[in-house]
Amino acid sequence: MTIFSQSVSPCGKFLAAGNNYGRIAIFSLSAALSSEAKEESKKPMVTFHAHDGPVYSMVSTDRHLLSAGDGEVKGWLWAEILKKGCKELWRRQPPYRTSLEVPEINALLLVPKENSLILAGGDCQLHTMDLETGTFTRALRGHTDYIHCLALRDRSPEVLSGGEDGAVRLWDLRIAKEVQTIEVYKHEECSRPHNGRWIGCLATDSDWMVCGGGPALTLWHLRSSTPTTVFPIRAPQKHVTFYQDLILSAGQGCCVNHWQLSGELKAQVPGSSPGLLSLSLNQQPAAPECKVLTASGNSCRVDVFTNLGYRAFSMSF
Amino acid sequence: MGAVTDDEVIRKRLLIDGDGAGDDRRINLLVKSFIKWCNSGSQEEGYSQYQRMLSTLSQCEFSMGKTLLVYDMNLREMENYEKIYKEIECSIAGAHEKIAECKKQILQAKRIRKNRQEYDALAKVIQHHPDRHETLKELEALGKELEHLSHIKESVEDKLELRRKQFHVLLSTIHELQQTLENDDKLSEVDETQESAMEADPKP
Repeated sequence: MTIFSQSVSPCGKFLAAGNNYGRIAIFSLSAALSSEAKEESKKPMVTFHAHDGPVYSMVSTDRHLLSAGDGEVKGWLWAEILKKGCKELWRRQPPYRTSLEVPEINALLLVPKENSLILAGGDCQLHTMDLETGTFTRALRGHTDYIHCLALRDRSPEVLSGGEDGAVRLWDLRIAKEVQTIEVYKHEECSRPHNGRWIGCLATDSDWMVCGGGPALTLWHLRSSTPTTVFPIRAPQKHVTFYQDLILSAGQGCCVNHWQLSGELKAQVPGSSPGLLSLSLNQQPAAPECKVLTASGNSCRVDVFTNLGYRAFSMSF
Repeated sequence: MGAVTDDEVIRKRLLIDGDGAGDDRRINLLVKSFIKWCNSGSQEEGYSQYQRMLSTLSQCEFSMGKTLLVYDMNLREMENYEKIYKEIECSIAGAHEKIAECKKQILQAKRIRKNRQEYDALAKVIQHHPDRHETLKELEALGKELEHLSHIKESVEDKLELRRKQFHVLLSTIHELQQTLENDDKLSEVDETQESAMEADPKP
């Protein structure tokens, strides 16, 4: 089993995990972290069948859980999700050019300022969907191969997307056009041709961006489009995020790596899965006692790190 | 109600002095010796019995005094502990606040460190590029050279034009001279033929 995606509930007490059989499991973090946790607390409270294909990506708004996989995005209500026989609230499919094959949706991104959702995946386009009306407003074209990951730049409403074609493209949502392209594989400091040119993971912090995958994990300064630090790890990284003054990354190899912006490896914390695909930091203000990092990947286990330095325990699908 | 208190009393008595040694036995002994003293015959026996009773009484008083002191001590210890407990609670609350304060400071320090590292990263990239002043100076020098060279080019071109024009004038003058000479030759030929024709005419 592979767990592709995770999402934290708006109250901070539950974690949803989606696997490659199309099932979503809801774990209770507050029960698993409490002092009287037993073995059953580490099992899911409820699992249900969500999609026909793998659930590649999930995000949470303040009332809904949105999950996407094989070409469709479905919305579920968090308040109802713990009851048996939960049905999806709605399902939408973005307008694809060909109706023959339905491409998968690899990444979802919420844009809170305009209350919309961005989907990207196999058809090389970014679709924007308005969350209130459910209509698809824009389709941004520019990538020549499918898109793996999305990131939102807070200050200016720009979206970064990275894909198989090796380019990170910045899109301005107001004018619906591509404003900047960074072709990562063309820079010799970070390119690793034997791994390919695909961009597997993307994270941004206004002026800075981290991306990795085929090329080495690198920190870029966006305004000048220059690579500033290359992180010395050979395994391709599948998920990366900024946290306080660190960069956390995970990929092939069972460890979560903690990097400082200068390129030094601060810590390497082993998890329980042979390869990690998704990291999730529970920073919901409503549940400060459940502030944990959870990691999942090529196994049925979700590792919970209460203190970033070591793995506290694992929950299992 | 009476039965309960009796049980309590019995339980307490058993707890304190269960095995029959100590004060309880002494009081029983005192009562027995008092009865014996009342029934005693001779003076010395009565006196010794009286002394014995007094000593037993004083022993009882002594142990009672001791118990009272211990009770006092326990009360005061309890107060002391309450005081210490309150102090510790205060210091725990203070420590919690300090921890929260320190956590804020840590966040701040982490932000500062992150900014410094971002600065360092950019500075490293900038260092690779050459200094701006030097590049400006080089640009100026190159500009001047360019101007100088273009001046030279202009002057050379002017000279070339002048020479070309002079040559042109020279060549055209030569051509004209040639033309004039040819014309003259032709004219002189024509004159000669005219003269020979005029000489041949008056003959017949």
